[in-house]
Amino acid sequence: MTLSLAFAAALGVITVLAFLGLPMGLSMISGSILYLLLRGQDMGTAAEQFLNGMYSNYIMLAVPLFILAAEFMNSGTMSERLLKWCDAIVGRFRGGLAQVNVLQSIVFAGMSGSAIADAAGSGKMMQYMMTKDGKYTPSFAAALTAVTAVIGPIIPPSIPMVLYALVADTSIGYLFLGGVVPGLLMAGLVMLQILVIARTRNFPVEPPVPLRRLPRMTWEAFPVLMMPVVLMYGIYGGITTPTEAAAVAAFYALLVSMLVYRAVKARDLYQSLLVSGKTTASIGMLIAGALVFNYVVTIENIPRSLSAMLLAWDLNPVTFLVIVNILLLILGCLLEGTTILLVIVPVLVPTAQALGIDMVHFGVVAVVNIMLGLVTPPYGMLLFIMTRISGAPMKAIVADVMPFLLGLIVALFVFTFVPETVLWLPKLFGYTPTALP
Amino acid sequence: MNSRLSRVGAWLHARAENLLVAMLATMFAAFILQIVFRYVINLPIGWTHEISVILWLWIVLFGTAFVVRDSEEIRFDILYGAASDKWRRVMVVISAAALVVLFTISLPAVIDYITFMKVQKTAYLKIRFDWLFSIYGIFAVAMIVRQLWLGYRAIWGSAPEAFDPTKAGSGV
Repeated sequence: MTLSLAFAAALGVITVLAFLGLPMGLSMISGSILYLLLRGQDMGTAAEQFLNGMYSNYIMLAVPLFILAAEFMNSGTMSERLLKWCDAIVGRFRGGLAQVNVLQSIVFAGMSGSAIADAAGSGKMMQYMMTKDGKYTPSFAAALTAVTAVIGPIIPPSIPMVLYALVADTSIGYLFLGGVVPGLLMAGLVMLQILVIARTRNFPVEPPVPLRRLPRMTWEAFPVLMMPVVLMYGIYGGITTPTEAAAVAAFYALLVSMLVYRAVKARDLYQSLLVSGKTTASIGMLIAGALVFNYVVTIENIPRSLSAMLLAWDLNPVTFLVIVNILLLILGCLLEGTTILLVIVPVLVPTAQALGIDMVHFGVVAVVNIMLGLVTPPYGMLLFIMTRISGAPMKAIVADVMPFLLGLIVALFVFTFVPETVLWLPKLFGYTPTALP
Repeated sequence: MNSRLSRVGAWLHARAENLLVAMLATMFAAFILQIVFRYVINLPIGWTHEISVILWLWIVLFGTAFVVRDSEEIRFDILYGAASDKWRRVMVVISAAALVVLFTISLPAVIDYITFMKVQKTAYLKIRFDWLFSIYGIFAVAMIVRQLWLGYRAIWGSAPEAFDPTKAGSGV
C-alpha cells in the first residue's frame, strides 16, 4: 500500500493542526483543501462535499434531536423522579446507591443517546446523592457514574450508532437492537462487581422504602419509565423512522417536563435549545469535516488498498476483530470518540465486509470500544466531566474506574468472539446476518 | 472605545444565539409537524423534510461561525492542554496561519461553486441552491477573520485560553 505524496501531506497537516489545538473539524477541512491544491483539483470540491454531504444525509438529523431530547430530560425533574424510583427498588441492598446508579443508567440509556448527557444530567445528581453524607468517596461515585454512563449509547437510542450507520451504510433499527443485550450484560456485570466491592469496602445500605409506597412512586415515575417503551414501539412498530423517533423523544420529554411535572420554564427551554444548538454545531462540524476528508480517503482508494493488503495476509475474521479491538482501545485513550467513529472506522469497514464480518456485529463492537474510550486515560471525555463535577482528582477517579474497566473489556471480547450476543435480538426481529464464508 | 466595541460584540453575540435557538426550534417544530401530518392526518408532506435539512446545515455553519466559542470546540488537547502559555501562543499562531492561508486560497473556488449552484432549486420550496449554500461562504470568511483575530491576540494580546474539555460537547 503506497500513499501519494499529496495524501501524505494532507494527513500530516491534519495531524499537526490537530496537535496544535485547531478544532478537529477545521483541521480535516484544511488538510483536504491542501490535498486538492496539491493534486491540482478544484478546491471548491471541499465545499461541495461538505454541503452535499450534509444536505443529503437525512438520518444525521437524529443527532441534534437526540441531543435536544437529553437536554429537555435534564432540565425537567424527570431524572430526579427516576432516581427516587430506582432507590425504592434497589436501595435496600448493600451498596444500594451504587446499584441505584446502575439501574437509573439503564432506564436513562433507553431514552438518551449520549453518554456525556447521561453523566452531566442524572449522573450529576447521582454524584450528589452518593457523596452528600460521606457515604461513598467522591472518586468512587465519580468513577461509577462515568462507567454507568458508558452503557448509555450501547442501549438504544444511540448517537454513536447513528454515526456508524452513516459511515457503514447499515440499518439503524437493527444496530439499535444489537446493542440491547450487550448493554444489559455490561450493566449486569457492573452490578455484580458492586456486590463484591460493597462487601470488601463495607458500603452502606439505604433506609428501605416501604413496599406499600412503591405503587405510588411507580405512578409518579411512570411517564419517565414509559419513554423507552414509546421510543422502541415507535421504531419497531413501524410507526416512525429512527430520525423521527428522536423528534418524538424530544417532544415527549418536553411534554412530560412541562405539563406533567411542570418543571420547565420558558427560560429553561431557551437555555436547553441554546446548549443543544451549540453542541449540534460542534458535532456537525466534526461530521462535516469527516465527510470532506473521507472523500479524499475514498478517491485515494485507501480502504480498498488496506482491505487488499489485509486480505493478502490471509487474516481470519477473528484475528482481524482482535486487532481492531486493540487498535480502537489504544486510539480511545488518545482521541475523541466521534473522530474515531467518523474517520478510522470507515477505513476498516470494507475489510470487515470482505472478511464476511456482519456489519451490525462490527458496528456494536466498534461502538462498545469507542464508549470504553470515554473512560480510558489520558483522554477520556467522561473522566474530564466527572473530575469537573466531583472535584475529585482525575488520578483517584481513574484508579476507581480500573476494576470496572477491566470487566467491561472482558465483556467486549465476549461480544467480539460470540456474535450471537449481539445478533440474537436483531435476528428475532427478522435480521439476516452475513454468513461467515 | 474598547468597552463600547466589546458591548456591541456581546450584543451581536446574543442576537446570534437568539437566531441559533430560533433555527433549532423551527427544525424541531417541522419534525413534529411532519409526524403529525403523516400519521395523524395521513397526509405526507415533503417541505418539512426540506426545511429540517436546510436548518441542520445552517445551524452547523452559522453556529460554528458566530455562536460556538473557541473554547467550546472539539479538539485534540493532549499537547495544547499541557503547553505553557508561551507555547500555546506559538501553537495558536501556527494553526491560525495555516487555516487562514488554506481557507483564503480556496475561497475563490468556494465562491465559484456556490454561485454555480444557482442553476438548481430545492424540490419543494424552490429555494435557489446558491442562496442556501451561501452560508458556507459566510462561514469560510468568518473563520478566516476569527483565526486572524486569534493569531493577532496570541502575538500581541493575552495568551489563549487553556482548553477546558468539559465545555466541548461532542454529543457521544
